[in-house]
Amino acid sequence: MNARERVLNLFKGEPVDRVPCFSGMGNITETGINELGYRFAGIHLDAKQMADTASTTYKLFGYECGVVPVDLCVEAEALGCVINVYPHAEGILYPTIKEKLIHDEAGMDSITIPEGFSEKGRIPLMREAIRLLKADIGNAVAVGSYVLGPFTLAGQIMELNDLLKLSFKKPDKVARLLDVCADALILAAKEFEKAGVDYITVREMGATSDVLSPRVFKSLILPPLRKVISEISVYSVLHICGKTNDIVTSMMDAGPTAISVEQKNDIAESRKKLGPSALIFGNIDAYNVLVAGSEELVRSTVRKCIDDGVSAVWPGCDIWPTVPPQNMKAMMDEITLYGGKK
Amino acid sequence: MADDAKKKEVLEQLRNGVIQYDEDACKEGATEAIEAGLDANEAIFDGLVSGMEEVGRLFEAQEYFVPEILMCADALYAGLDILKPHCKQMDLGVKGSVVIGTVEGDVHDIGKNLVKMMFDVAGFNVYDLGRDVPLDRFVDEQLKTDSELVCLSAMMTTSMVGMPKVIEKIKEKNPNCMVMIGGAPTSRDLADKWGADGYAEDASNALKEAIKMVAFLKKLRDEKAEKK
Repeated sequence: MNARERVLNLFKGEPVDRVPCFSGMGNITETGINELGYRFAGIHLDAKQMADTASTTYKLFGYECGVVPVDLCVEAEALGCVINVYPHAEGILYPTIKEKLIHDEAGMDSITIPEGFSEKGRIPLMREAIRLLKADIGNAVAVGSYVLGPFTLAGQIMELNDLLKLSFKKPDKVARLLDVCADALILAAKEFEKAGVDYITVREMGATSDVLSPRVFKSLILPPLRKVISEISVYSVLHICGKTNDIVTSMMDAGPTAISVEQKNDIAESRKKLGPSALIFGNIDAYNVLVAGSEELVRSTVRKCIDDGVSAVWPGCDIWPTVPPQNMKAMMDEITLYGGKK
Repeated sequence: MADDAKKKEVLEQLRNGVIQYDEDACKEGATEAIEAGLDANEAIFDGLVSGMEEVGRLFEAQEYFVPEILMCADALYAGLDILKPHCKQMDLGVKGSVVIGTVEGDVHDIGKNLVKMMFDVAGFNVYDLGRDVPLDRFVDEQLKTDSELVCLSAMMTTSMVGMPKVIEKIKEKNPNCMVMIGGAPTSRDLADKWGADGYAEDASNALKEAIKMVAFLKKLRDEKAEKK
């Protein structure tokens, strides 16, 4: 069973020979970038560089997927935000939004999706990157992409500060904005599907229980999230960072094929709540364990994830590119040693 | 000097105004405090800050979440803006200035703004560099202002890793300067490893840490008052 079959079988609910180890979020490494002679700041704007880089985590370490893009600004940019890729930065700086679209409460009502959205910003570049990645390693691994969740996208196109207060003071207004965001995300997801992705992760990072109450999550966040996920025809994964134990049931209610959680989630408890057949992906700490931890810590964390009951060992966030190669190797070695035992 | 019953009533109004995120109540309370001749510092600490302490507790108990905290902060500022011009300069024997900002690559500033608020309350000179701040600017601003504290904030793992560079540069040029780091991905371990003097992992903790600092200043103030 190769990595692709393993991951696709898992999504289908069919038997796998062992727990897969992959991600639906960014997982490029500095080792991979350097091998190709690229610069981090350059790969966001060049489909070939993006796809080449994304393939290296599989080629160098046997990681069981290929995922593009690398940053989180694709949809906001296509909606009209100006982004900063920090072209001159020496180290690794992820692109951010330089100019918001909505500057005040009134602006929330006038926001619309631009005509020809699927040709705006880097959406065409994304289609190309997915095609290239698919042609390169698509027979060996599942190829994935991601979109943001509606609330997280809304937090990019307007001041997060205002969005949070208004979700309390004027939930109807926010709900309308989230619905527009949902429509934009659906359009983006459909383009990625056309290009051939096998699965799409929906990253609703801003709606963690560290920030919003489970009650607001249910009333405000869930409906547009459900809308996006119901329109995704490939396999879907819903990811939320931070504390999520109180909302895992709602996350499942949103209708994804699988949910993804990070290290603040108690997996054993989530597994108890959601039952044996639910697909729960997680929850390796992508920085403190993978980057800053020892090989032994990486190995013991992989084992703990499996013992707690994850369906796939997967990092809680983007893998930070400076991850030491020996830690990537340790993770993949441990998954083959321990992943078939349960 | 205001009588005790009036004083209690006004302090209670300020405190509740913050807890119930009622900007008007805080404005009214602050105006009444001035008219009744209350000490402005006392109105800030025993009214507004006391309310914010309760907000921190409600956040901890998961009764309040970030939207509520932000609204409470607005209410606090509504009162603070009125009271501040009436504050006597607190003589604490420390200069009390702080450089604060969100590091380059990160555009999230909610936690940073909450900590800034507590420094505003404490009467610090706050040099707020904003968000997405190039690392060298922290170093330059610290040197320029001779601030004794620098606060670095990051919400994303992907931007946090710039922090050790800033800490190293600041400590190299000015070993006595204290550095506090904050934001979801930071930890005590990282703070120790990177040579930071303090850390706060989330809004609640940032608030608590900042309240602790302010409470410490308040203690100094009270001790000074007793000696007089």
